[in-house]
Amino acid sequence: MLAIEGVTAGYGRLEILHDVSLAVGTGEIVGIIGPNGAGKSTLLKTIFGYLPPFSGVIQFDGEDVTGLSPDHIMRRGIGYVAQAGGVFADMSVHENLVLGGYSLASSHATAAAIERVYAQFPLFRARAQQRAGSLSGGEQRALAVARTLVVEPRLIILDEPSAALAPRFIDEIYATLAALNRSGIALLIVEQNVRRILDAAHRIVVLDMGRNAFAGASAELRQSDRIRRLYLGEDAG
Amino acid sequence: MGEEILEFLIVGFVLGGIYALFAVGLTLIFGVLDIVNVAHGEFLAIGGYTIYIAMIVFGLPAALGLVLAMATVFALGLVVYPLLIAPLQKRLGRRAPGPLFLVLTLGLSALLQNSLLAAAGGEYLKVPPAITGGLDLSFTYVSGQRLLILAVSSIGLGALFFFLRFHRQGMAIRAVAQNPAAAQSVGIPLGRIFTLTIGLSCGLAGLAGGLIAPLFSVYPAVGFTLTIKAFAITILGGMGNVFGALIASFIIATVEALSVLVIPSEWQNAIAFATMILVLLVRPSGLFGKKQL
Amino acid sequence: MTRLMAVATLCAAALATPLVWSHPFALHIATQALIWALFAASWDLLSGYTGQVSFGHAGFFSIGAYTAAISAKLYGISSWIGMGAAFLLCATVGLGVGFPALRLRGHYLALVTLGFGEIVLLIAQNWGGLTGGPFGMHDYGTFTGLPRDLLAQRQAAYVVVSAIALAGLAVLLYVTRRTSVGPAFRAIREDQILAASLGIDTTFYKLVAFTLSAGFAGLAGALYAYYIQLVSPTVGAATQSALVIGMAVFGGIGTIWGPFLGAILLFSVIEGLRFIGVVYNLIAVGAVMVVFVIFVPRGLAGIRLRR
Repeated sequence: MLAIEGVTAGYGRLEILHDVSLAVGTGEIVGIIGPNGAGKSTLLKTIFGYLPPFSGVIQFDGEDVTGLSPDHIMRRGIGYVAQAGGVFADMSVHENLVLGGYSLASSHATAAAIERVYAQFPLFRARAQQRAGSLSGGEQRALAVARTLVVEPRLIILDEPSAALAPRFIDEIYATLAALNRSGIALLIVEQNVRRILDAAHRIVVLDMGRNAFAGASAELRQSDRIRRLYLGEDAG
Repeated sequence: MGEEILEFLIVGFVLGGIYALFAVGLTLIFGVLDIVNVAHGEFLAIGGYTIYIAMIVFGLPAALGLVLAMATVFALGLVVYPLLIAPLQKRLGRRAPGPLFLVLTLGLSALLQNSLLAAAGGEYLKVPPAITGGLDLSFTYVSGQRLLILAVSSIGLGALFFFLRFHRQGMAIRAVAQNPAAAQSVGIPLGRIFTLTIGLSCGLAGLAGGLIAPLFSVYPAVGFTLTIKAFAITILGGMGNVFGALIASFIIATVEALSVLVIPSEWQNAIAFATMILVLLVRPSGLFGKKQL
Repeated sequence: MTRLMAVATLCAAALATPLVWSHPFALHIATQALIWALFAASWDLLSGYTGQVSFGHAGFFSIGAYTAAISAKLYGISSWIGMGAAFLLCATVGLGVGFPALRLRGHYLALVTLGFGEIVLLIAQNWGGLTGGPFGMHDYGTFTGLPRDLLAQRQAAYVVVSAIALAGLAVLLYVTRRTSVGPAFRAIREDQILAASLGIDTTFYKLVAFTLSAGFAGLAGALYAYYIQLVSPTVGAATQSALVIGMAVFGGIGTIWGPFLGAILLFSVIEGLRFIGVVYNLIAVGAVMVVFVIFVPRGLAGIRLRR
């Protein structure tokens, strides 16, 4: 579904990613892990178009989307949930969702789509007029996810969904993500919380110093002590 | 004495409407693009020249002249982003040093003002009021043009607020001002919103220019003092804060109007400058804080 | 070393030309050009080199000009002392303006300086008793000790102005290139927070920048007053501030000598264009600013330094 081939990217003259490749199959959950500064966030930004790559190819559903701007990429069916500050803090929950439907053809379609989202997230129906910035961290993260759902993406990219969240909220987010995946949406997740992503993902990609270091089924990674110690520096399970 | 104050208050309100049309656009550009449009006054002046040409040269009715003033400057404003700002952004990145964009709009201001001077000469051109006659109140007489300004600015500002609050593109403008990355992620094209924002703001300035033409005459530098005052207004209201600019406009206009009772009129302009400097020193975020569209 | 000598020789020759040629008009333009050159270099020290962009620099120029005029008219002070007074007074005012500016960045700083410039203009226009009001001051004399003969006077004035302007440039270049002040300025321009965390006293250096820059702008203003022999409020108008910025952009912001040279060139071109029409020259300045900022942001200096 999503294929990244030989991507080199960075900021200005600083190269952060060197010849990185990865793939996400339909309905898969792929996790990206690696030490700090490995370029994980940069990779997501490059895929979604915030950063045009220096070289390489990004394909979605067989079409070349390399270097397209984010507002074009999202129209292909990809959603993006930022690490922090992903919601429009000064707008209401409802307005956030309305904006989520910006790319839809008619306000009628948007209204119908928002109804669908409220059905999935009854919390937001109750808080529709609340200022998004006053929601808790976990709720804001969920709102950002909900907002992408307004346009029914087939793939959602998430940058550290558990960042700065209390464990209870991390549980909720991952439960939501699992449910989304069961309904057919593929997920590409950068995570610092290795344990979580090992549990949730089908496959894992490890990035180190901007390069591919390892890729394989998460089950494989979970079971292999050697790989875990090598790439994750941990002995615990 | 109370009547005198009321009279000045009315003057302040009328002026406030103009200031608001002008300053709201300026703060909108800052909120969305992070750029201070030093040339905003020239767009107002072009609005004045447009209504002059429409009414005096072509003999069109005032209402049409006003619409043309707004539309012409709106169209001109649409060109600014793609032609001037986008190339600089592309070269330096959007987080380019703000002062460079300031220098760009400063140069644009000089370019436009002197082009007007070259094309039209420096005389103060006279434009007849759109509405003759006026309202005879017991203590004062309010001219028709001033009433028109009150009405049109109220409608214009109301329409703008409505647009920003409820219309899809208006919400998109607010979204870009608040969170450009998130805005892109929901499919909002930044370049087009930038273009629209500047166009809209300039259109308001053009409208203001057409409205004050009968009052202040039309000449190349007519917008200049207003620009500096508008800086003071936007800072007082909080740069990027449209509501703040609205309130601050009326505050400054009213204070200016009432100040004639206390200080000589030549120093009237100093009020705005002094206010600006004071606000910047004491509370740079202004009355209402930054970036609230 | 030979390259430097070649450049120096070229400059010396260029400077000597108006004296040798001695056409009064050429002298007139050259003298004014050098005044603007000093003005532009002073602006660049603060805005280009240290990154504290000033939009009201004509205010300092104006204060300097009026100081010279008033001191000559009211107290009969010699121009040499008058120039010193202008420098010191403006430096002090610059220091004063610098304090509030410490807390402000970017747009806000530029707008405060704009407000400062406008207030100076208002004072010049309205405090008639001191400044002569909207009509300004004349009748206060010129540089002390100049010959009577008109042509010789112009030549002498040219020598005085160019000597002082060059001395000013030399001081600014020395301060920025040969003392520890220069790198501190550059650090502040690049990243104030980083500079502070590296132990650079940003407050001190910013105030130094304001003081020096204002002082030299005032000196340029005094030169203007003594040479033109007419000072009116318009010397402090925003258009003057815009003009000096345009010259600096043309020459290359941040190099000190770039704006110096750029001012000479641009001013000469503007005056030359006056033959075409009074207003077109200012259109050219605006156009230069717009085009250069977008396409040639490092100005002429940037072009020449291509290795």
